[in-house]
Amino acid sequence: MAKKRKKSSRKKSPIAVTIIAVAIVVLFLIRLYQVFEPLIRSNVFQSGLAGPFFTGWKLTAMGKILLSSITYLVLSLAGIVVLIGFLRLHRWSWVLLMAWTGISLVISLVDYFYTRANYAVMASNVIIAFALNMTDVQQIFGIRRRDEPTL
Amino acid sequence: MNPPSDRPTAPAGTPDLELLRKFEPVVYYTKGEQFFPTEVEGYVRESSLWEHHPDGRDELLVKQGELTLEKLIETRPAEFGSIRYLRFVENLNLAEAAQVLADQTLLRIRLGNYFHAGIGRLARGGFLPRLVDGLFSLSFLLRGKVSAADAAAAEIDYNEIFELNPKYTYYGRVTRQNGWVMLQYWFFFCFNSWRSGFHGVNDHESDWEMVTVYLYEDNGQLIPEWAAYASHDFHGDDLRRRWDDRSQLDLEDGHPVVYAGAGSHASYFRRGEYQAAVNLPLPGWFSGLVRSWNKLWTDMLGQPPVNTLRIPFVDFARGDGLRLGPGGPQAWSPVMIDESTPWASQYRGLWGYFAKDPISGENAPAGPMYNRDGTPRSSWYDLLGFAGLDKVPTPPHAMDMLRENCSKVSHRQEELGKLIPQKAGELQALGIKSKGMEGNPHLAKQYAALEKEIASLSTEVRGLRREQSENAALLQGLTQRLERMQAGLQDDPHAHIRNLAVPDSTAQALRFDRAAETWAAVSLSLLLFAVAALILFVPKYIWAGLLVIFILFVVTESVLRGAFVQTVGRITLLLAMAATIILFLHFWKWIIVVALVAMGISLMYQRLRELTG
Repeated sequence: MAKKRKKSSRKKSPIAVTIIAVAIVVLFLIRLYQVFEPLIRSNVFQSGLAGPFFTGWKLTAMGKILLSSITYLVLSLAGIVVLIGFLRLHRWSWVLLMAWTGISLVISLVDYFYTRANYAVMASNVIIAFALNMTDVQQIFGIRRRDEPTL
Repeated sequence: MNPPSDRPTAPAGTPDLELLRKFEPVVYYTKGEQFFPTEVEGYVRESSLWEHHPDGRDELLVKQGELTLEKLIETRPAEFGSIRYLRFVENLNLAEAAQVLADQTLLRIRLGNYFHAGIGRLARGGFLPRLVDGLFSLSFLLRGKVSAADAAAAEIDYNEIFELNPKYTYYGRVTRQNGWVMLQYWFFFCFNSWRSGFHGVNDHESDWEMVTVYLYEDNGQLIPEWAAYASHDFHGDDLRRRWDDRSQLDLEDGHPVVYAGAGSHASYFRRGEYQAAVNLPLPGWFSGLVRSWNKLWTDMLGQPPVNTLRIPFVDFARGDGLRLGPGGPQAWSPVMIDESTPWASQYRGLWGYFAKDPISGENAPAGPMYNRDGTPRSSWYDLLGFAGLDKVPTPPHAMDMLRENCSKVSHRQEELGKLIPQKAGELQALGIKSKGMEGNPHLAKQYAALEKEIASLSTEVRGLRREQSENAALLQGLTQRLERMQAGLQDDPHAHIRNLAVPDSTAQALRFDRAAETWAAVSLSLLLFAVAALILFVPKYIWAGLLVIFILFVVTESVLRGAFVQTVGRITLLLAMAATIILFLHFWKWIIVVALVAMGISLMYQRLRELTG
């Protein structure tokens, strides 16, 4: 008698989830580059961190570099946390990723109009935003109900 | 057909006034309402008559205190484009305005007549509609409007009129058309104080509202079948409810119950607070852009439709105030009117101040028979069409008409049953004839003519068969309906309603209602302060600052409304669309190249798969 195959309880992820995961990894790598690039440029790894970082209330050039590297490092690590939650299809990760993408897009747009835009980051965020908006992605993360009519 | 036993009836020969009294409505007002149905005589006596000329001049025709209903209808020649109007409240100077506002407060204290809005209208709409609402409020700087002092003076004057003549009047009219007997109840108010008294859309001097009861005759008895109430935003079928529709029409001892909107006096079937939305008057090209955007937003991006250019207003029909009508301490004083009533038919002007508001919201209405431009009012001359009843026969006639329809269709089916085989036979004969002609070049002309004849007959036969098939379906539907009617089964009482007015339930939807209300009240001003601060302190980053502030305001709003997740999604989507445009502008060549290459690869893959089986 043929053995009855046990049905997998895992939800099947749509392809968009994979695309988003890849985009998060790309963004992580870009952010990682943004962490180390200014430090390398300032020869921090050869000569070590040398202060001062503040002159009064203002940041010195080295202080600014350090601050931006730390910010990007936090963003990269946050990206990894979101990625883990996302691959496990947690609802909170969808919300966090959407909010994170929104903030990142605001920064990209402000950068575009005031300084220099990072088009790779912008494009990755656009892909993530549209992919997160897809009905099947929203349904699998419990953002949109399955019985809700698709417009 | 037996009349429903639970309905009040009146003998067919009942005099009109008695008939009106038999079915007159009970009206519940909202606590805080300042104006109630009154007689036109007292109002006219307190008014002056004016003429607005096309060159912008306003000419006084009859002074306040001298005007009577007889003088109102005196023939006065007027040039094209002029507008005749009454003025209930005369121009007030600053001191008089302050005085009437103080008197109004004292009057309300004396009467103990207060209104509490509860969940305000601003908290019921989102941040964007509130922004548009700000523009709507500012539009009053450009449009003509009735001032708050005018509303206060009108309230004081109305109370003086009421003290002299403490009556609640309706103007009743009875008409008969297509088997229906229609009882029309017109209510005249000195003032519509929806904006100044209840945060609504508009204020204007005078107000006319109307309720109609539709009766049919059966076995010598008049039986009520429908009640229709004039209301905002609704037309035709949506205005009426069936007499036995207990979920939508309240009855008190056989009288229909009306819940009147506070200040607006619009009539509702159910007690509650209704959201009335006003569309901003926009140029056509802009509306087209908005439509295209909505299409993209809903069809392509799968988002729910939004109309941020609609301003939410609340019509409070709570029914917790004065009750007017039979069975209570405040009864009606009916007055019969018809086309021969001089003030109704011969005065075509406005029944109050002409505020020169181009979108008419603040201009007074005309009388029961006319529109503001003097043209006949459909709710007077076409009472059936007004409530969508022009296509509805009375119940006893409906059965006869249905039988007649069934018999007509059956008869036609019999005809078709004979005609189709006859025509089909003719077609076959022609087909045989044409076959015989084939291969004979000398018959080419006759053959061509025969082909034409065959084509034409074939089309006819096809048409007849289609008709027969459609008629069979129709006959089945008609017969089923006839059987249902014969068994005494009624249609769904809501079947005719396309847009049902439903009381608002936002109060339950708000997560932190007090905080949401406070936020709704102050957010627009805070936004303006923030913009001012940006201009003052960081003018270099004004646009970036505006974007960030705007997003922060919308997100705060969404937290208070319990819609954070949806809002974050929508904002990110909008930002992504802006970023897409930027990326396309910079990399359009690359995007096209990549798209073409991707399409080429996809096509090649498909074709190669086809080739290799």
